[in-house]
Amino acid sequence: MTRNTRILMQCIYWAFVIYLLVPLFLMMLMGFKDSKFIGFPIKSWTLDWYMTVFADTAVLQAFAYSMVIAVVSTLIALTMGTWIAVALTGRSFWGRAIILGLTLLPAIIPGVISAIAFRIAARVVGMEPGMWAIIWSHAIHNVPFVVLVVMARLSTMPKSYAEAARDLGADPIIAFFRVSLPYLTPAMIGGGVFCMLLSFDDFVRSFFLGGYEPTLPVLIFAKLRSGMSPEINAISTIVLVLTALLGLWAERSMRGLSKRASHD
Amino acid sequence: MTDARDPIVRIEGVTKAFGSFTALHEMNLSIASGEFVTFLGPSGCGKSTTLRILGGFETPNTGRVILDGQDVTALPPNKRNVNMVFQDYALFPNMTVRRNIAFGLELKGMGKAAIAARISELASFLELTAYLDRRPDQLSGGQRQRVALARALAPDPALLLLDEPLGALDAKLRGQVQVELKAIQRRTNKTFFFVTHDQEEALTMSDRIVVMNKGRIEQDGTPEDLYFRPASRFVAEFIGETNLLTGQAIGRDQDVTGFDWQGNRLRAIASPGVGATATTASLRPERVQVAQERPGTDNAVQGRVVNRLFKGHRMLLDVAVGNTVIQAYTDTDRGRAIEDGPVWLGWNANSLTLLAD
Repeated sequence: MTRNTRILMQCIYWAFVIYLLVPLFLMMLMGFKDSKFIGFPIKSWTLDWYMTVFADTAVLQAFAYSMVIAVVSTLIALTMGTWIAVALTGRSFWGRAIILGLTLLPAIIPGVISAIAFRIAARVVGMEPGMWAIIWSHAIHNVPFVVLVVMARLSTMPKSYAEAARDLGADPIIAFFRVSLPYLTPAMIGGGVFCMLLSFDDFVRSFFLGGYEPTLPVLIFAKLRSGMSPEINAISTIVLVLTALLGLWAERSMRGLSKRASHD
Repeated sequence: MTDARDPIVRIEGVTKAFGSFTALHEMNLSIASGEFVTFLGPSGCGKSTTLRILGGFETPNTGRVILDGQDVTALPPNKRNVNMVFQDYALFPNMTVRRNIAFGLELKGMGKAAIAARISELASFLELTAYLDRRPDQLSGGQRQRVALARALAPDPALLLLDEPLGALDAKLRGQVQVELKAIQRRTNKTFFFVTHDQEEALTMSDRIVVMNKGRIEQDGTPEDLYFRPASRFVAEFIGETNLLTGQAIGRDQDVTGFDWQGNRLRAIASPGVGATATTASLRPERVQVAQERPGTDNAVQGRVVNRLFKGHRMLLDVAVGNTVIQAYTDTDRGRAIEDGPVWLGWNANSLTLLAD
């Protein structure tokens, strides 16, 4: 590569980074502006909007509600997804491809379609709109991601690990919990964090299946309809920082764990 | 109480097929308690299948496996008093050395104090005391191999299976570990079932070698039996270097048989079961004497030196006899003293073994 093309590539890269980051930066900036009007110039700064957020019980409740939904739906998706991944790995049986296809389907169905389908299904089985309906839809939507990361991890696990456990006296269940599951942990942490972020971020399913209590994205949407306020910038900034920290933590711990587990 | 001659393992008429490929044909074998048995053969010969059947990882299609007087054919691995050292060691990466060794003991329901005692006993025996709190990824290849051995020996199995456990070590370390492994087997007096494709490894360590080929036992005997009295062409070629002479067996005078080779009437021996129709005989290069004068051996033929290969402490001579080249080892000084041109080759009857085809 010549020097000029290298400089050109660097310019494109930085232009792209700025393009990505400027909207986020502006959003964060406006959350500190001492005025209800969003835009330049910024004459004075304030933390009042953050104080408003922390005093707004509706926001805090929606945040807690979203967290509960994210955690519970992730635990369900992890259990189901890991179980399916283990069942589908290392053996071939009739219908394996069909089961895998059906498992992965929720990940590619458009959000609106699946939300409507869930809504109809919930009514048919007599499930009230609300927390459990949302959790149900989030869990099913997230299972494919767990299946994919756990299957990828399982494919790197030597067959001899589980065999060695069996050889030393473990029945299949003990062998799974004491040897295979620890090996899968890094993938499960990564998949789990991803599921939590997807669930926390989800609007369409939560909107269609929610009851009277809004999740955080639904609440933000409701607030937007009554006009843009820097309070929303403050909420968004808090969510951005929290999710970035969670993502970084997951990435770091996953790297450490899988390095230790695969170096043998 | 098991006497050294009691069979600890009996394999009775075991056949195993994978789809249309038959990995084992009607195998019958007994292993005595305290024996170091090696299954030797090329890949796909059935040695690993036999090992996995003994470990409980494969179920035979027909036949039975008797372990310590009990029929274990249908028992899963966790219900058998057999442990295995895996080819890749399969140490649990999420556990320390101590927890790896404790794994089998905990599952046996042993108490904490007894487990600690057993671990420290094995650790001092296998020189692992300093590494007990390390994880497998913090150990060298040789150390991992010893941990795998300690983990498999810990539950005190009736039979220890070893699946090519030296394959991952470098050549220098391998030689050293062979000696150690043999010493460990002697001191623990355990029955070792060792699988390898490395004939040198098999010769060094085993009390008994079973040579496998295409799912059948080709020969079963002591390392010396196999080396000096190979029953078949396959064994002769697989173990060590050899000259294969093509001729015709003639007559039979007790265990000394005649072999007609290029018009020479040679004296030879034959293993039981090798018939009068044999057409191949094996002659180890180091059993052939090379001399300027006719040697006083049972057999002597004349030839001509066509090539010399210097190998340090000895020399390999290629001697053309008629239309065949016979290879002979001599010590280097002797090899250098021999002049080019006609020489005599001599060997005794017990060095020329008739082979089954």
